[in-house]
Amino acid sequence: MNAFTYATAHSPASARQLVADKGAYLAGGNDLLGLLKEYLVSADILVNIKSLPGLDKIERGEKFWTIGSLVTVAQIEDHAEIKETFPGLHEAASEVASQQIRNVATVGGNLAQHSRCWYFRHRDTQCLKKDGDLCYALNGENRYHSLFTGNTCISPVVSSLATIFASLDATAIVLRDGQETRQNMAELYQRAWENPLAHNSLKNGDLILRVEIPTTRSRSAYLQVSDRHAFDWALVSCAAAADVVDGKLKSPRVALGSISPVPHQVETANRFLDGKVLDNATATQAADMILKDAKPLEHNAYKVPLAHALIRRTLLKLKGDA
Amino acid sequence: MKNSEPENLGAHSRRTFFKSLGTVAATAATAQVQSVAAELEKINTEKIVGPNAVPVTLRVNGEKLQLLLEPRVTLLDALRNYSSLTGAKEGCDRATCGACTVLLGDTPIYSCQKLAIESQGIEITTVEGLAKNEKLSKVQQAFLDKDALQCGYCTPGFVMSVTALLKKNPRPNADDVKHACAGNTCRCGTHPRILQAALRAAGVETASKTEVVDYV
Repeated sequence: MNAFTYATAHSPASARQLVADKGAYLAGGNDLLGLLKEYLVSADILVNIKSLPGLDKIERGEKFWTIGSLVTVAQIEDHAEIKETFPGLHEAASEVASQQIRNVATVGGNLAQHSRCWYFRHRDTQCLKKDGDLCYALNGENRYHSLFTGNTCISPVVSSLATIFASLDATAIVLRDGQETRQNMAELYQRAWENPLAHNSLKNGDLILRVEIPTTRSRSAYLQVSDRHAFDWALVSCAAAADVVDGKLKSPRVALGSISPVPHQVETANRFLDGKVLDNATATQAADMILKDAKPLEHNAYKVPLAHALIRRTLLKLKGDA
Repeated sequence: MKNSEPENLGAHSRRTFFKSLGTVAATAATAQVQSVAAELEKINTEKIVGPNAVPVTLRVNGEKLQLLLEPRVTLLDALRNYSSLTGAKEGCDRATCGACTVLLGDTPIYSCQKLAIESQGIEITTVEGLAKNEKLSKVQQAFLDKDALQCGYCTPGFVMSVTALLKKNPRPNADDVKHACAGNTCRCGTHPRILQAALRAAGVETASKTEVVDYV
């Protein structure tokens, strides 16, 4: 790691001022220290934000719950009422990395983490995401890469929390230029869809303050498949959430991770599922719609049937049958 | 890179702070003295330090460690290279293998992916801190009894993960142990014995010494 200065901020405003143009916020530090050790990012100052007041709380509300950006993934996993109210969020949190990482990893850091593409993570590779000319994955080793992209970089979003938050239609509240801005998960990652250099839509100095989850969807589920049974990134992850009235889905949302630079959501499928009674045929039709435009590469075509199965299973889990 | 204190830290600039002191001085009361102290503390903690070495105080295994460290020094390096606590091991140095696991408070963390400077003010426990009066902890003893190691490099990390699990959940089942130890890797492949040791430390005996415990 290159040398840096260090400060602890006690208010979001001073954190922003301290981080200035070339600094980085330090919370759990899992992603940041990894990037610094590989010289993939540089920072002249690390601003410890863990003392920012009020951001480490999970607050229940009638219409929505608020999860502070400094809440750790372990806090979510261990929260009995989250398990009851948002079971999919509990499942997603418990699949994140390992106990040691969940203990320090924060919601904000999980959402803002950088690409895991091995060409991006290799310090000697000057790929598209690092302002180079070429995506080496496109014609290279691409078994972990995207089925969808809006640009020429095919590294997928890997945040499990982003996937489940997307299905719950959660909103991130981001402090930008002194103002609180609201971004749903599609907006929070939109720039990664368009711009190969971007990992998300956050600009330099933006600070995620909290996430609001509406309570309108009483059921949620999350499933992922990885090479390893535990402590591994998802090959594909799937989250679904809905309310169920008289056996029929209400406001259903499905989102997938690790197959696109953004949480993959298809509105026509959500609309198709709305008002339907879930059964295998309906789930299959929805999965067909969600994956219709997939563009598999040389080594990742297996992700299409995998995602298809995961969508069906997650939807049926929502129903309580799986 | 700036090494000195900045002139202005927004709401907490020294100048505006001392200016405001002037106006409250006339009505100074105990409460205000306290708020002044709080304000001063805030300014001091928002001070920019480094990149050169700065004093860092760690509380490790009940003792105070006063070190002079650059802000970029990880907790693992501080323990191993700036003091004599080599119990936590360096494996991957990328928060992947678990050999560097220590407890921060009661929770296991990877000390390689944590800065020493941000680990101040919380009790840190390394494997050296588990034995009391020359007597091994229950978990350590169980690792010995079950012969749950070969080369032993990953052992301190596993011992810390299991120790933390038993603090949180004194009667874990095999799945709980696997979930808690998923972030530790043993390249000798001693996982079945480690699982047995963890269960033994919890007072949950497995059937026999030769039983093969599935660890997938």
